[in-house]
Amino acid sequence: MWQTFIIEPMTNLLLLIYTLIGQNFGIAIILFTILIRAITWPLTAQQLKGTSGIQELQTDKEWMGIQKKYKGDKEKLAQEQMRIYKERGINPFGSCLPTLIQFPIIIGLYQAIIRSLAATPLSLLNLSRGLYPILDVTKVIPLKSTFLWMDLGRPESIQVFGFALPVLAIIVVITSYIQSKLMTPPPNPGGNDQGAAMSGMMSIYMPFLMGYFALTFASGLALYFITSNLLGIAQYVMMGKANWDNVIPGRKK
Amino acid sequence: MKLKTLFILSMVLIFSVLLSGCSASAMRTNSWSGLSADADNAYLANGTFVYAITLKNGGQLWQYPAEGADSKEAYFANPVLTDDGQLLIASAGSNHSLTSLDTTNGTANWTFADAIAPWIGSPTVVDGTIYAPNSDGILYTLDMNGNLLWKKEIGGALWSQPVSDGKMLYITSLDHNVYALDLASQEIAWSVSVEGALPGSAAIDEAGNLYVGSFGSNVASISTSSEAIAWDSEIAGWVWDAPTLDGETLYVGDLEGNFHAFNTSDGSEVFAPVKLNGPITGSPLVLDDFIVVGTEGNLETEEFGKAYAIDREGGIVWQQTINGQLYTAPVQGGDLILFSPVEADAVLVALDLDGRQAWPFTPAK
Repeated sequence: MWQTFIIEPMTNLLLLIYTLIGQNFGIAIILFTILIRAITWPLTAQQLKGTSGIQELQTDKEWMGIQKKYKGDKEKLAQEQMRIYKERGINPFGSCLPTLIQFPIIIGLYQAIIRSLAATPLSLLNLSRGLYPILDVTKVIPLKSTFLWMDLGRPESIQVFGFALPVLAIIVVITSYIQSKLMTPPPNPGGNDQGAAMSGMMSIYMPFLMGYFALTFASGLALYFITSNLLGIAQYVMMGKANWDNVIPGRKK
Repeated sequence: MKLKTLFILSMVLIFSVLLSGCSASAMRTNSWSGLSADADNAYLANGTFVYAITLKNGGQLWQYPAEGADSKEAYFANPVLTDDGQLLIASAGSNHSLTSLDTTNGTANWTFADAIAPWIGSPTVVDGTIYAPNSDGILYTLDMNGNLLWKKEIGGALWSQPVSDGKMLYITSLDHNVYALDLASQEIAWSVSVEGALPGSAAIDEAGNLYVGSFGSNVASISTSSEAIAWDSEIAGWVWDAPTLDGETLYVGDLEGNFHAFNTSDGSEVFAPVKLNGPITGSPLVLDDFIVVGTEGNLETEEFGKAYAIDREGGIVWQQTINGQLYTAPVQGGDLILFSPVEADAVLVALDLDGRQAWPFTPAK
């Protein structure tokens, strides 16, 4: 199921792009990411809308009123919260959906990259199965795994004064940090401090986690992370939702 | 907010586990095995170990490394026996090591670890010199003590054992080319391009003709005198391993599960392709009375691989199911036919000439 609906379509799409653009796997990954971002654009927009909508509720008089009024009745409080969500057109789970969708894409892409580059006999044999008949990949297999200074099937680093500097992993951390900070709305005085603190922690931990993945796994995945992050940042800016004051600590107003 | 954070944290955890799992499965070290044999013993490269097994009863003589697994090693290539009693084993692990073992006790004679990429193909020995093709596209030439003599960039990833007529070394590459390397000048004399990638070796006959199968779903004959393709026959599936010569007949299997026989003179089929129960990734083994091939089986229906004995008219003499998938070419050891299944408890299975199992070999845990 996973194989048929995730890995094989992704592998074939990557191979199709690779074939069409003149056999550059790095560009193929970038274009693939743009395509995925374009498909998930409405979901990301919904996520942003949901996040800012929920944030605005924290200072809303009616919202604060029901918190006080039904403090001892959790069932009634939940009913009232759902009513307000419905009235204001806010989907409380809308902000989770894009995150949920990202995971199978990332895992699937990673498997598709490893499968497409086929560095071992079994991976090459696996590549031979599940290729769509419309694709004539005979001439392009094996794929050229190099892109700029990287071997996209292996973790990346550049030797600087005898040290292996993981350039892509560093860029992944920076772009992930900027993206997560941009989408965090400014804290408000009446807001939930605990929630804000946890959100702040997440915006620190997530970039490092992504950086760890970029450091450990194939650099093709890091290329996906960077492209995806940059596109995410561009989307926030285009939607006027980017909160630049959050990016640089101490610049908050 | 708490719930959402917990949800994201859970997702991150699941994601990490899944991604780690992907990585591990992509590099499963026991996913392929290498096999060779002499009259008395079989030598099996499997995962992080190489085993010597007596053909008498399938008992283990030694294992390398004796003290325990080295996670940086992964042996896929067929071990190579040399005339002076060495066993050359090439590792696809991160150590990129090519090691010589003493066949009597499995201790290491020497290790060459200067290649920059894994070894997928086996080395070949010509006149006391080791020619080792690496997936970095370089052919490394060593003396029998493991000292580097010279190296030559060939092109593409080199996954197969070169063959030689004594003067030239013929190297197949995943870059779709067959290269002829002049051993005297150490230069590439000529190359011929075929339709697809060449993960398997070439077969060479006494007249100096080469035969290759490729991912272009074709089998081709290359004349070394004219340095050009003599004939090219299209087949249904990709060819993984080298064709096998049997006089004027050439046997080869494809990934669609077809077993083919070609006339070496013109590439015409001797009999209609014989359909087996799964992809054929190993070269056929030619015996006196029949030809033996193994299959992967059918992964979708979870059908195990099978060993087939096929006569020279294309009739199936016998077939034997073997637990696991049979990726590696079968090998003859004495009066036994050896298969090295993967994804099975027994990593080596010996069949007699009637297809009955003589013994299985399962490494001690």
